[in-house]
Amino acid sequence: MSNNSILVVGGGFAGITAALEAAEVGHEVYIVETNPYLGGRVAQLKHYFPKMCPPSCGLEIQFQRIKKNPRVKVFTMADVESVSGGPGNFDVKIKQRPRYINEKCTACGDCAKAANTTVSSEFDFGTGKRKAAYITHPFAFPQRYVLDKDACDAGELESIKSACAYDAVALDDKEKVFDLKVGSVVWATGWKPYDMSKLDNLGGGELANVVSNMQFERLAAPNGPTGGKVLRPSDKAEPKRIAFVQCAGSRDQNHLNYCSYICCMASLKHVRYLREQYPDAAVTVYYIDLRTPGRYDKFKAMTEQNPKLSLVKGKVAAIAEDAAKNPIVTVENAITGIKSDEQFDMVVLATGMQPSMAGAQVPAGAPMDEEGFVVGGDEQGIIAAGCAKQPLDVMKTAQSGTSAAMKAIQTVVGR
Amino acid sequence: MSNNVRVQPDLKFVKELQAVGGDSLKKCYQCATCSVVCPLSPADSPYPRKEMVWAQWGLKDRLVNDIDIWLCHNCGTCSDLCPRGAKPGDLLAALRNMAYRQLAPLGFIGKLMSNIGGTLMLAVVPAVIYLLIWSMQAAKFGTALPKFVADGAHGWVPAVDGAVIYGGLFPGDYFIDPIFGAAFAFMVICFFVGVKNLLAGFKKVPAVYDLTGAEKPCFCSALIDTIKNEVLQHTQFNDCGEDDADVKRAFGHKMLMYAFIILLFVTGVVATGHWFGAWFLEHIMGLESGPVKLLSLLGSTPMPQHSVIKVLANIGALLMLFGLIRLTKRRQSLDPGKQGSSFYDWYLLGVIWVIALTGIGAEIFRLLNVAVLAYPTYFVHLVAVFMLLAYLPWSKLGHLVYRTVALAYAKTTGRIPMGAAK
Repeated sequence: MSNNSILVVGGGFAGITAALEAAEVGHEVYIVETNPYLGGRVAQLKHYFPKMCPPSCGLEIQFQRIKKNPRVKVFTMADVESVSGGPGNFDVKIKQRPRYINEKCTACGDCAKAANTTVSSEFDFGTGKRKAAYITHPFAFPQRYVLDKDACDAGELESIKSACAYDAVALDDKEKVFDLKVGSVVWATGWKPYDMSKLDNLGGGELANVVSNMQFERLAAPNGPTGGKVLRPSDKAEPKRIAFVQCAGSRDQNHLNYCSYICCMASLKHVRYLREQYPDAAVTVYYIDLRTPGRYDKFKAMTEQNPKLSLVKGKVAAIAEDAAKNPIVTVENAITGIKSDEQFDMVVLATGMQPSMAGAQVPAGAPMDEEGFVVGGDEQGIIAAGCAKQPLDVMKTAQSGTSAAMKAIQTVVGR
Repeated sequence: MSNNVRVQPDLKFVKELQAVGGDSLKKCYQCATCSVVCPLSPADSPYPRKEMVWAQWGLKDRLVNDIDIWLCHNCGTCSDLCPRGAKPGDLLAALRNMAYRQLAPLGFIGKLMSNIGGTLMLAVVPAVIYLLIWSMQAAKFGTALPKFVADGAHGWVPAVDGAVIYGGLFPGDYFIDPIFGAAFAFMVICFFVGVKNLLAGFKKVPAVYDLTGAEKPCFCSALIDTIKNEVLQHTQFNDCGEDDADVKRAFGHKMLMYAFIILLFVTGVVATGHWFGAWFLEHIMGLESGPVKLLSLLGSTPMPQHSVIKVLANIGALLMLFGLIRLTKRRQSLDPGKQGSSFYDWYLLGVIWVIALTGIGAEIFRLLNVAVLAYPTYFVHLVAVFMLLAYLPWSKLGHLVYRTVALAYAKTTGRIPMGAAK
């Protein structure tokens, strides 16, 4: 007898979509998410395509559907340890890290006020700091704080615990390991930004005012470290000249040997963020080919109607900085054939999407390509969705989630 | 009327280029990373991105007359950072190989020098010449491995308990010097035509690359400036690449070049001493003063090991080995996915290796007085030196002349500044 339930690994847009589609036609669904929150990369954006919605907009409705559906069970801060069995009959071992804050939490924030220790914020890609007791963003789901127990000493932990009026701080919380029996697995582990410290000729991670596109997203997001105002990291000054470096580590056999599909659009979106805040800022986008697939071409046409925006064909291959920490970009304009050094206040590297599974193996021997994308696995009962499969925008990610739900259902039904 | 430019691609040329080392040029997508990371490329119309697109389009005229291929010293940084593995550095090297093949007259030599079979065929020429001399001399002395003693009146005379004397078996006056003199003259004439072709090509391309705004030097002062800076001090080469490997390569190349200069000087001293001192001044003019005697002594071989000239020659040989080891090691360590090595590269290293090893070997075997090893080694040495010298314009060593001329010309057009302006 086949097991009817479905495991969804990854609670980003693809995973949530797949889980809801399957649950709403009657399947029991488990979502296993490694972060303390659902929503994945979308939750970190200021706006997302195609309609430039804030992430709370699309995610809020999904969270409502999850809350209302008793067939969906969510495990955050959890990872898949191992998968055994086969299609229709998987045995999955899950390991859940302790959150140290239980379901009594009302997200009042008193624990964060009581905490003194601050560390670099992973959610903000290091552009900001967070307390040892924290919630990543205001609309986080589940609405529950996290305690970074290892970052605090015993005294601080005690004062955090006593600050909580609801007895939600559980210092004796332990790592849990448990098994789930499922019929099929949707693999929606998504992507991570390509590690820009590998781009040494572009000063990635070295130069203060050279940020990645995802860092820029956090700088522009209202719930980000600067409250949504784009300021350059070194001195919090308002940038007047900003450059975007496309294909930073993408379409490059020394880094990611493929096009991440959406970075050109992301940079054009970032140009719009800047336009709202700094109508007079001079913005330059350096590209190899400006790729604006399908209807995004219209977005480009509208964005480039701006005399203060220049689009320059030529890949930036060297960035240095001057004494005032202004990045100096060296580029050859391939149209004019002039190589020059250009000074900016801030440079954004449009880094690509690397599959989260790069360098690891998806269970049950699901085939992967050399970059770490899952390129099959349906026969093994492992159905990949979203950016675990290929670089996608949010709209196509949702479609791929629905499609994966369909295949997952087909895997468990009719056996 | 529309004013469209129709590209007339020379597909045969593209295929030729791919064959001589530009095999990956079609992978290029014109991102211009190469032009930016090149430490030598000028700001206006930098290379090698434009060469990549010309090559893809088959614009032969632009490429074969392109002066920028000689500005490149091939550190390979462009190919290392190329996102597509299109190897722009290899394309420029391939274009230079093409120039070696086609600039000098007697195109068939260029064709033969482009592959190992042809080169071996060309090696038959000196091999036959020297074998002929050897067998004639062997018939005369009654042995192929004669030993000699000095006889004041008749030069070297065979003697069973004598010594290995190369000048006895291959007398310089009648065989070595005239043959190498002829080979040298042949090489110079071919180079002369090659350089004429090179300059004519540069002049075909409109000279638009002037950024300096400085007054243009004449060709003569540009050439002197180039020899002083780029050649003798390796000023361009030293700037080519920043890695440790690049620094080592430039130093190794410089030492190898100094070795050649030293050995050229030694050869010059011997030739002057022998022909000018001993033959012209002593023999023809009948002079016998002290300086004349000293000069003719300098031209007399074999030299004692303590002779200043001999010491210098040995230093040259050691420097040559040092340079060769550096350059060979580096070439072996190249990642073939980033930078390839063509027949031209290996031939030049190979022939210099043979010259160095047989040269040193011939000296050692002579000192050990082992005729059976010494004469064959010397024979191979003669063949290898002939190869290097006579076919120089068609080999990679042709860069010695072509690059020097191109750099000097580039200064007259303002493409690169004079040494002092750097």
